[in-house]
Amino acid sequence: MTAFDANWSLMTPEIVLAALALLVFTIDFMTGIHGKKPFIGKLSVMSLLVTAVLVFLTNSTSGQIADVFVVDGFAMIFKLIILVGVAMVILISMNYLDRNEEIYQGEYYSILLFSALGAMIMVSSADLITLFIGLEILSISSYCLVGFKKYHRHSTEAAIKYVILGGTASAFILYGMSFLYGLTGSTSLRVIGEAMPQLFADYSVMMTISFIFMLVGFGFKISIVPFHMWAPDVYEGAPTPITAFLSVVSKIAGFGIVLRVMVFGFLPVYEEWIFIIAVLAAVTMIVGNAIALTQKNTKRLMAYSGIAQAGYLLVPIAALPFMGNFSLSMILFYSVAYLMMTLGAFAVITLVTEDAGTSDLSSFAGLFQRSPYLAVAMTVFLVSLAGLPLTAGFIGKAQIFFGAVSADLLWLAIIMIVMSVVSFFYYFSFIKQMFMTEPKANDKELQVPVSLSAVVTVALAVTIILGIMPNFLLDIFTTLNWFALF
Amino acid sequence: MMENMLTWLVFMPLIGVVLILMIPKENVNVIRSLAAIISGVALILSLIIWGGFERGVSGLQYATTTEWFNIGFLQFNYEIGIDGLSMPLLVLTTIVTTLSIFASFSIVKRVKEFYVWTLVLLTGMLGVFVALDMFLFFLFFELTLIPMFFLIGIWGGKMKEYASFKFLVYTGLGSAIMFMTFIAMFFKSYEAMNMQETTFSMIRMAEIFADPANPEVLTGTVKGAIFLALFVAFAIKLPVFPFHTWLPNAHVEAPTAASMILAGVLLKMGGYGLIRLGFGILPDQAARFATLIAILGVINIIYGALLALVQTDLKSLVAYSSISHMGIVLLGIASFTTSGMQGAIFQLVSHGFISALLFFMVGAIYERTKTRTISELGGLSKSVPVLAGFMLAAAMASVGLPGLSGFVSELLAFIGIFGASESIIPAATTIGVIAAIGIILTAAYLLWAMQRTTFGPMKEKFIGLPDARPMEYVPMIGLLALSIIIGVYPHILSDVINTTVIDIVSKIGG
Repeated sequence: MTAFDANWSLMTPEIVLAALALLVFTIDFMTGIHGKKPFIGKLSVMSLLVTAVLVFLTNSTSGQIADVFVVDGFAMIFKLIILVGVAMVILISMNYLDRNEEIYQGEYYSILLFSALGAMIMVSSADLITLFIGLEILSISSYCLVGFKKYHRHSTEAAIKYVILGGTASAFILYGMSFLYGLTGSTSLRVIGEAMPQLFADYSVMMTISFIFMLVGFGFKISIVPFHMWAPDVYEGAPTPITAFLSVVSKIAGFGIVLRVMVFGFLPVYEEWIFIIAVLAAVTMIVGNAIALTQKNTKRLMAYSGIAQAGYLLVPIAALPFMGNFSLSMILFYSVAYLMMTLGAFAVITLVTEDAGTSDLSSFAGLFQRSPYLAVAMTVFLVSLAGLPLTAGFIGKAQIFFGAVSADLLWLAIIMIVMSVVSFFYYFSFIKQMFMTEPKANDKELQVPVSLSAVVTVALAVTIILGIMPNFLLDIFTTLNWFALF
Repeated sequence: MMENMLTWLVFMPLIGVVLILMIPKENVNVIRSLAAIISGVALILSLIIWGGFERGVSGLQYATTTEWFNIGFLQFNYEIGIDGLSMPLLVLTTIVTTLSIFASFSIVKRVKEFYVWTLVLLTGMLGVFVALDMFLFFLFFELTLIPMFFLIGIWGGKMKEYASFKFLVYTGLGSAIMFMTFIAMFFKSYEAMNMQETTFSMIRMAEIFADPANPEVLTGTVKGAIFLALFVAFAIKLPVFPFHTWLPNAHVEAPTAASMILAGVLLKMGGYGLIRLGFGILPDQAARFATLIAILGVINIIYGALLALVQTDLKSLVAYSSISHMGIVLLGIASFTTSGMQGAIFQLVSHGFISALLFFMVGAIYERTKTRTISELGGLSKSVPVLAGFMLAAAMASVGLPGLSGFVSELLAFIGIFGASESIIPAATTIGVIAAIGIILTAAYLLWAMQRTTFGPMKEKFIGLPDARPMEYVPMIGLLALSIIIGVYPHILSDVINTTVIDIVSKIGG
């Protein structure tokens, strides 16, 4: 099959999104780059939702384009997560942008749309080149977005840091991939996967180097210890909605490709890497949670919390060879939970820290008196992140725990649960500020913009519903045709 | 209706929460009355259940099971029901909570939230006592954590934040251990049934552990480890030395109503869990570790009493006395005799009423004198005779004066330990004698404290203090009356619990 008689209709959602992103871009420069442009924000959200509907509709026709681009259940769920995530980020941003006039709104929205496009290509790729292109679209968009407050030293510093370190990580990934190409003569993950057992037998050193290099690069993107150092600084400097974007969309998409590479490429030789992943998961959980304890800045705290959460998500990858699709179901369930609880929390953080003019934890003082709804919603998100019952976070963690025990990773499961208890400390220190401390200088009622309260409400509803009725989502996963290439 | 009675009881407080949320927070009196009415309805429901509870019938009553959700092959059920062990604790919960709501009418700070959290807490506590599915039990157990964290952290004393975080971390750790143990039990039972059956039901779990299809899986080491882990999880809640250090902080800093619930009900969840899961599912291991449990019980009694003796703060004295009294529960259950087990359950109920009353009295006196330091108090019997009188009565009940409930439970527990089989506890008599010394200490610290606070010359600054308000009579008379009723007519309680007690004890052939 050549590229010309391939079923290009599989790519409809991506093509539509690219067109819409360009449209948004065009409208932006035709209306002048300055000024408030709420209609562009709305248009962007609409574009993402239209794309999400298209993704949903094209699912029934799973298939692939010349071993390069694959549409299957796995890709569909990740794409839906990404699209919903970016749409929520835009809704969070709308009010934020109106308060920060230095940001050119049109560019901001169109770059976010392009980043969503990159992430979608990434999770659909079945080829190293496609995968890398998707990854770079996402990464370069992210570098720009981090530096969007260009007159702020912190924002610029964060962007520079992110570009340099992110570029290095990409180089690692490419170098790792070059070994695979060199030994197989192909960039197709399917071909590589088929050749893998033989390759490992013949060139074990080179393959190990290749794996480690790719792990370093991907580990950077999903911010696992010890490749996490960039995250707190970048998260702190970036505009708050972009911090949310990095910690949710970028991270989940990163997990998407880690899984693609692991499942298609390296699963046949899982004995070689399973232990490394398990150790990394343990170290990530321990370090992320431990350092989070000392944080006083909300954005840095969420950065470390995000690192710890990435550790929880690594556990099912370590269990993947034993649990198969159940592992994928765990990862995706937790990703959905993580998306909702983290974006919900960031929606609140964006408004509160912007209102206080500081991202210090004390900006949350007395939030309950200023806006009971936001305080209660935030409490639910934090409790869910901490993994307490009746929330999506608990069901997600409980599943991962079950999976780890079933896969004979008892030690990892124990570390996970102990670290969850440690996380009570810092999540509840938010709650303490909101409920037990009197409001500081500013105690007037907090005005909640409609777009933001919509995000909070959706996130709250999903977090609670999945905590009580997880079968809504789990039943979808059990009927899913995960992979089209096998 | 009858079969859904328990569900109604457990979730009714949440209906109250919704109603309260709809009332503007300025209408404090409406909120207070509504909270009292909701808890009152829960109390009436629990009494109806008590009335309909069939005495002398072994097994579960009011039981229902509904499928809830499943993860892969793991089926989670909503399975509830009660027996003679949970029945009295259910009534204890509704009574103490209702009375603590009456006791908290003096709270003026953030009234609406206070009652919301109290009612959420009520649902959690009731849920713990009715849940028969381990997963469900865990959910309810955790549901009590957050409300209590807020009750201590918002309405507490000077060190409230420290106390609330300490409470959070200790109980959180206990829950984590419990969760891990439940999962371990799940996997072991799954293996023991040759991968043919998955269950979270406590009832089924007990059957599997007693008679597995594949006995090699459930070796003594495995079962022993599971039992010890369960013991630690519940020991933190009870609390058992050396896991008790959260309790004095939490009790002292908590507002009066929260202290009443904490001492009156939350600690009982530890004892209940230990009996229901530890003894119910692993009776052989419970017997194996009976000596250890009895010794820890004695340490609790003596250590708690000695610490209580040196307290300068009246409220921490009561808090340490709780630790001491929970030792009697351990002693009773470790004996593996009918009377010992009865004594333990009696003690759970009786201490629930007495400690709630003591905490209420301390709170009422503090509210007037603005001090809890024993040396600064004195002559209260002259300035506030009614309050002083009730406090003295509560102290007497706590000491174990005959005719009051504390006496019955201590007597039964001691009969139990002295009658314990040599094969279960080798040096039962010695342990019993040492424990009895602890009881003398109880009399010492309580009477000494009463002598220093209520008697003596009246201090000038306490002249003209207002005595008990009408609303305060409700919890005072209610709690004391219950202690007297159980003290003079213990049959009212033993009638309900006996069959279950015999069932539990007979599992070990005692």
